[in-house]
Amino acid sequence: MARPAVILVGADKGGVGKTTVARTLLDYFSAHQMPTRAFDTESPRGTLKRFHPDVTEVVDVTSIPDQMKIFDTLSSSDAWVTVIDVRAGLLSSTLQALSDIGFLESAKKGQITFAVFHILGPSIASLDEIEQTARFVGDANYFLVKNFINNTTFFDWDPDTYNSYFKRIKNAIEITIPKLNEMACEQVEVAGTPFVTFVANKFSNGEPANNSFVLRGYVRHWLGNVWGEYDRSKLIDMIMPKIETGNVRHAG
Amino acid sequence: MSLRSSVTIVASPRPRVGKTLLARMLVDFHLQETGTAQGFDLNAGDGTLAQFLPEHAAAAGIADVNGQMALFDRLIADDGVAKVVDLGHESFASFFDVAGQIGLVEEASKHGIAIAIMFMLTPDASSVEAFDRLGKRFANAMLVPVHNEILGPAQHRGKYGSGALTVRLPLLAPGLRKYIARPPFSFADRSLAAHKDVPADIQFELKHWQRRVYIEFREMVLRVLLADLRLSMRTGS
Repeated sequence: MARPAVILVGADKGGVGKTTVARTLLDYFSAHQMPTRAFDTESPRGTLKRFHPDVTEVVDVTSIPDQMKIFDTLSSSDAWVTVIDVRAGLLSSTLQALSDIGFLESAKKGQITFAVFHILGPSIASLDEIEQTARFVGDANYFLVKNFINNTTFFDWDPDTYNSYFKRIKNAIEITIPKLNEMACEQVEVAGTPFVTFVANKFSNGEPANNSFVLRGYVRHWLGNVWGEYDRSKLIDMIMPKIETGNVRHAG
Repeated sequence: MSLRSSVTIVASPRPRVGKTLLARMLVDFHLQETGTAQGFDLNAGDGTLAQFLPEHAAAAGIADVNGQMALFDRLIADDGVAKVVDLGHESFASFFDVAGQIGLVEEASKHGIAIAIMFMLTPDASSVEAFDRLGKRFANAMLVPVHNEILGPAQHRGKYGSGALTVRLPLLAPGLRKYIARPPFSFADRSLAAHKDVPADIQFELKHWQRRVYIEFREMVLRVLLADLRLSMRTGS
């Protein structure tokens, strides 16, 4: 078995679609048949857990017992990948905690695969976050995610300013999450299922659902594009460099 | 797949090439053959499919998601009703764009529904390109070229390749056109013809023309069934 992988999905700003990105990652790893678990740090009630209840646990990432629950079990867990959906405003403090407990050091030594999905908002404050986060991330796989799903416009970013921040980060990978039709997005929210379950026209319990074919089609198309971004950034190779990944289910 | 579970899209990126007449004939053909059919009208203005066949066709729209759901969700419904889409030239690009994105042909196939695109042949380059794009993008649909004889001798010959067999829409004598040009009018509804005071000899000639069109349709249906059978054998479904 390869070394355990931890993916932190976060941003210091709220409402930028962290949980949506975490959901697409869980679907992606599931399609690649990679055992995955998730921690939702929106304690006490987590949004991620609502969509992926079987693999998600709600934790308070600032509490030491919950930190132990996540990081002390990395090697003993059946899951190859641990996705942590970090609550708004806690990204920097979570990274600080990871630094304090020596987790980042272990990642540097190659004992753990560590990646950060930093979800960017449209404001300049988001760009400032990059610099703060990069201090901790160092050699980790740093993914800068522009999320257009909730119609974010990044027009207020001056390209020169953006590039000046972006280029400071060695090896950062830029990912673009395209916009999903509002009604399709809303219906998946209402269904409360993973995206792939919605596309397959099923309820969470596997029973047939009655979702609109048009909305399912939009979600499948969108999810295919998101996964295309993950493929392009060689996410699976990063996590499981030697594993055979030929047996992949598609987004529909 | 059966004749009942089929979706036929009558399309061209050009206006005034006979799409609505063909769609009217198709709805009437299905009504006669199976007793049931539903037309979907994506046209603006007068002389639309919904105006000619108000009981069997309804206006549709794809400008917003609600309209798209009302149309596409109905097209793939397992209700045993043959569907005919009269695709106005204004909606040509957006219809196929949405259909491609949401996977209309693939989803229809899962439901045992065959999709046929009847494409009106015209000699202009934009139509030739559109036909070529449709063939590539919807490889699992049946792309049926249609030559409307009213558009004159086949000027399109040699421009569309020689792959698919062409359906001919026979020329209707000019003296007969006025009888079918005012909505509502159904070729399947004899009482409507009688109500419009269509003389018996004209009715006879219309019937003759209608029979020629239906022969073309029957051949097309056989080809759709054959293509579907081949696809099933290839995919083992």
